[in-house]
Amino acid sequence: MSRRYDSRTTIFSPEGRLYQVEYAMEAIGNAGSAIGILSKDGVVLVGEKKVTSKLLQTSTSTEKMYKIDDHVACAVAGIMSDANILINTARVQAQRYTYAYQEPMPVEQLVQSLCDTKQGYTQFGGLRPFGVSFLFAGWDKNYGFQLYMSDPSGNYSGWKAAAIGANNQAAQSMLKQDYKNDITREEAVQLALKVLSKTMDSTSLTSEKLELAEVFLTPSGNVKYQVCSPDSLSKLLVKFGVTQPATEAS
Amino acid sequence: MSIFEYNGSALVAMVGKNCFAMASDRRLGVQLQTIATDFQRISKIHDRVFLGLSGLATDAQTLYQRLVFRHKLYQLREERDMKPETFANLVSALLYEKRFGPYFCQPVIAGLGDEDKPFICTMDSIGAKELAKDFVVAGTASESLYGACESMFKEDMEPEELFETVSQALLSSVDRDCLSGWGGHVYVVTPTEVKERILKGRMD
Repeated sequence: MSRRYDSRTTIFSPEGRLYQVEYAMEAIGNAGSAIGILSKDGVVLVGEKKVTSKLLQTSTSTEKMYKIDDHVACAVAGIMSDANILINTARVQAQRYTYAYQEPMPVEQLVQSLCDTKQGYTQFGGLRPFGVSFLFAGWDKNYGFQLYMSDPSGNYSGWKAAAIGANNQAAQSMLKQDYKNDITREEAVQLALKVLSKTMDSTSLTSEKLELAEVFLTPSGNVKYQVCSPDSLSKLLVKFGVTQPATEAS
Repeated sequence: MSIFEYNGSALVAMVGKNCFAMASDRRLGVQLQTIATDFQRISKIHDRVFLGLSGLATDAQTLYQRLVFRHKLYQLREERDMKPETFANLVSALLYEKRFGPYFCQPVIAGLGDEDKPFICTMDSIGAKELAKDFVVAGTASESLYGACESMFKEDMEPEELFETVSQALLSSVDRDCLSGWGGHVYVVTPTEVKERILKGRMD
């Protein structure tokens, strides 16, 4: 009965819903999950890689995590091609701000500006919304470490811990139970890996199926975005008891 | 007085053995009045590429900010640093965009390319590149710098000797130019480290 209100993004249904936006969120619900956790000394992003094939040409580049600027990074869930467009837009917006004001763009402003772009596709132009949700992790000198989640409607909010993609509701409730306000970065990594391992569909967790990135301050006071190497990630998985080490029999 | 001589500047870059050096003066003036004696003309684009901008200071600052913009996006998309040859092409393209209302700058670009091969080049204010194997100069003191470098330059100098040569060439040239001087700023870059040194010359 709602079919006649589906086809155009720019009209409301009688119940006051935007069906295209909701369908976009459905698409994301089938994509690989990502979790972000805010800690006192950094933000942790963990993502599940959906495409793992021996034939895939692995390079140093990542599938779920992207750097937007030196002080902001994001994790992605949804249609990758849509994500690439938005990531490029975010990168250019961050550089434009830096060019104009000669300082890094505040994280919330960057998120807001990208969300304004996403919102445009829900109100005019007749184009479909982007089928991507983001988790933005960053640091600025006004508000320190921050984590934001945004969705295809262009809505965003700040979170202490958030999950997007497949099984995000289960992950979110697990995070609600186990998150503590004064969690450290190491504990956050552990929590993120634990929650992801419980909500992921696959039976065994290896470092090939995951990506881990952190945004933190170096001892010299600069913001750093670092992606964990597959070897360190394997060691972490064993250390936190999330996966069986290779030598043990199950 | 020409617009290129409004602020005064001196820049030189020299190639050594698997290293390069770039030196600039430190004076910023408004015609004959000296305003600052610690002005930075040389900027690091990344660990292996340095850019020096002589000429009108405001255009040098804006041009530098635009280049940082472009280079940051390049780094994010390509996930690697820009090679010096590529960077020189970018600078040349940006300058030519303003062909009929140019930036009044003369850039000097120096970097370590593939296999740590040193690369230097300069260009005019509308982007005509001049590649050189030995040294390039720019600024109000450029004529003296050409003479000094030509006589002092030797091929394949080690970093320490290169530093001495480039410093002597710079200081003796800016002494003959009233619009540049007030000391020197020298960067000597090898594959392993970047050494930044301040020179004290005739402070006038």
